[in-house]
Amino acid sequence: MSNLKYRVALIVAMLVASVWALFPRTVVERVKRDGVFAFDTVRRVPLKRGLDLQGGMHLALEVDESKQAVTDKSDALDRALKVVRTRIDEFGVSEPVVQKVGNDRIIVELPGIDDPKRAEDVVQKSAFLQFQITDETQALDKALPRLDQIIRERGGVGATVAAGDTTKSTQVAALPNLFATGDSASKGDSSKTDSVTSALNPTTGGPLSKLVQAGQFPGEYMVAEKDVRTVEGYLALPGVQGALPPGKMLRWSGDTLSIGAQIFRPLYVVDARPIITGEYLQNAKPNNTPIEGTVVEFELNNEGGRRFRSETGKHVGDYMAIVLDDKVMGRPPVIQSAIGTRGQITMGGRDLQDAQDLALVLRAGSLPVPLKIAEVRQIGASLGQDSISKGGLAMVIAVGLVIAIMIGYYRFSGMLAVAALVLYVIFTMAILAGFGAVLTLPGLAGLVLTVGIAVDANVLIFERIREELDRGKTVRTSIDEGFKHAWSAILDTSVTTILGGAVLYQYGTGPVKGFAVTLIAGITASLFCAVFVTKTFYLIWLARSKNVQTLSI
Amino acid sequence: MIRIFHNTSFDFIKWWRQAAIATIAFMVLGLASFAWSGGVNYSIEFTGGTLVQLEFTQPPNVAELRSAIDAVAPGSEITQYGTNLEYTVRAREERTEAEATTSATEGVAKSIRGALDAKYTATGYTVKRVESVGPKVGSELRRGAMIAMALVSLVTLLYLAFRFEWRFGAAAVLSTAHDVLVTFAFIKLFQIEVSLVVVGAILTLLGYSGNDTIIIFDRVRENLKKSRKEPLYDTLNRSINETLPRSILTHTTTLGATLALLLFAGEVLRPFAWVMTFGVFVATFSSIYVAGPLLLWIERKFPRAVTDKAHASAAQVKAESKVEGKPERPSRPASRPTQRPATR
Repeated sequence: MSNLKYRVALIVAMLVASVWALFPRTVVERVKRDGVFAFDTVRRVPLKRGLDLQGGMHLALEVDESKQAVTDKSDALDRALKVVRTRIDEFGVSEPVVQKVGNDRIIVELPGIDDPKRAEDVVQKSAFLQFQITDETQALDKALPRLDQIIRERGGVGATVAAGDTTKSTQVAALPNLFATGDSASKGDSSKTDSVTSALNPTTGGPLSKLVQAGQFPGEYMVAEKDVRTVEGYLALPGVQGALPPGKMLRWSGDTLSIGAQIFRPLYVVDARPIITGEYLQNAKPNNTPIEGTVVEFELNNEGGRRFRSETGKHVGDYMAIVLDDKVMGRPPVIQSAIGTRGQITMGGRDLQDAQDLALVLRAGSLPVPLKIAEVRQIGASLGQDSISKGGLAMVIAVGLVIAIMIGYYRFSGMLAVAALVLYVIFTMAILAGFGAVLTLPGLAGLVLTVGIAVDANVLIFERIREELDRGKTVRTSIDEGFKHAWSAILDTSVTTILGGAVLYQYGTGPVKGFAVTLIAGITASLFCAVFVTKTFYLIWLARSKNVQTLSI
Repeated sequence: MIRIFHNTSFDFIKWWRQAAIATIAFMVLGLASFAWSGGVNYSIEFTGGTLVQLEFTQPPNVAELRSAIDAVAPGSEITQYGTNLEYTVRAREERTEAEATTSATEGVAKSIRGALDAKYTATGYTVKRVESVGPKVGSELRRGAMIAMALVSLVTLLYLAFRFEWRFGAAAVLSTAHDVLVTFAFIKLFQIEVSLVVVGAILTLLGYSGNDTIIIFDRVRENLKKSRKEPLYDTLNRSINETLPRSILTHTTTLGATLALLLFAGEVLRPFAWVMTFGVFVATFSSIYVAGPLLLWIERKFPRAVTDKAHASAAQVKAESKVEGKPERPSRPASRPTQRPATR
């Protein structure tokens, strides 16, 4: 009898603990409203929903080694992780996840994000800021004839190679950075475009000099937007880099200019040595000015300020290009007098949101290594909601079916099993909430499935009890024997399922891990409910009604 | 008391030959399909590439949609997803290594969006889901899935060998292997897309089918203890009949759950639900017609008791003269379970 008391006490205690674990509680959430962070208190069931249920974005980032090899990837990723985390924290998502997985990947999870493009940019932008003085010596004009000659030679050679080339690499040539590093991947493409153009215009004027026009101030050149790709191709040709003026480099503008009916993209010749880089940056904030439009105002630290002052003092009257990730931002302003710690970047007509994001990435610092996106999963909030309601419906129907079958077939005992099943569902959810597991859509499926499988243990026991009753044993003995004999099969089946779940957990990703967790939690709860809880119910029933002769099973 | 299939005495094992022919035919069909049209239909997760799920406000003209998307992502697969308002676009990444490293992965989704904006305007459709997986991640996941399946089989084998005697374990694992093959044939023949979730379903199916086998074997073990004189053939049949009500009931409730998922849980879970629904039938079939006859066969090849050896090998000769290497009706004297480990 006291044994029974302990049993009941244990079940009640577990139920209380489970209900407590699942009880809606007040949590503090950080949300961004109108660009300002605010702390919000919400009451909700502490059951985390996966991205596939609440909508959001999952990103996997890897070190991009296409431009240069990185020796200590793990260390580089650790540093990159800090930067990405700072950026994401400021980005304003309620519960972001930023973590390193293995040695070569960063996982970013952004629940409820509605603008995936923006998120990708914020995460991926290198944010490497440089200030470079534009060329005063007309170095490019001097070098142009030589460049034209090289392009003509190379182009003629390249044409035969290009014939067999695929059209696919056009996209590659369009990438901006080729230019500084001379990526070999675009060789085929560029020589092809060249052969086409030279075939069309075999007349005078070098292939390059005919596309490049002088701009409004020294070091500025204009290239028609439609010719940008061709020019990039030329510049990527082998030999061209070597013929460029020494100590100078070419930078494209990040914006286009329309002059008359034509759209031009400025190309700048700048000193290869930056007068200062973003490492001295202390603060950056967006602003809206009446004259320049949207700008990002920045502030340098003392050392940076000192350098900046002395460098700009030397270059009064020159133009200074503000280069972000190898692109010139806005048109280079002229240096009026020595500049101290403060400056601004003109956003060239883009909106405040862009300025905010740029300020954000500048504040967080630049990425130590370029990152590339290895995986993106983005689920719309409506799809997540849809999944929840449909999964819920399937759950209700499955539970209803199981209840009908169990009570219809086993009557009184079936009701005991159903009571145990209700406890089972509560326990499973509580385990998930208690361990902070994430409920995903496959997890929901696992839950529905385990409801079907969970009654298996009860069925095994009941069938066994029936057999014992058939042999003419008393109700009490039959129940005892039934539980005893069914135990080994129940244990074996549970253990094999849990082992399978554990393997799945180890090798699965996000949603599938959720499935594995639900499966394991479900089987554990089912083991307890079917064996311990149902047995207790029987014991209570036996204790209340002495001298029972029949059992409704 | 309602009783179904109570005190039955069907001779299940008698039909093992027909069952074997049926299941082998199914597997061969699957295999032929593999040979005919290549491997299974892997999802984006495994192949790498981009999937965009779109919902339109008006049912789009499929041919126009196709031409709009072909312009930016040639070779994309466009399939209707549930209603005629929803479509998925799948662009498999088949680029060279050099191109893949320039992270063109996210570019495809973007260019598809651009093309659709031009065609249907930004308000004419919504992007419900984007999945974009680089080739490296894809191959990693594929390897992970393979390892997971191999590990599950291995772990099950070890556990069964520990809990049961090795003969039972071997029969159970061979029947698990059968389940894997049959399920792959099913997936191939019914063109189910293999995603990670489906791999999860396959693993669950293996566990579920294994459970069914365990429950029958558990009964066999018990019955062997009780009546040592009975031939294994009869013990097996008796055990299957005794556990029949349980099998029917459990399979019914599980089938109820999988059908609820199949019919109500929406398109995303449908492949999972298909595999699990099939799994219920596989489990029922394989635990009776694969695990049972295999156990008989193993018992006959490797009789358990030393003292039985003379009888057993005599019976074996007799049996083998009838049918090659397969179990036959009372083919040998009672298997005496002397070497069975005391497991409990």
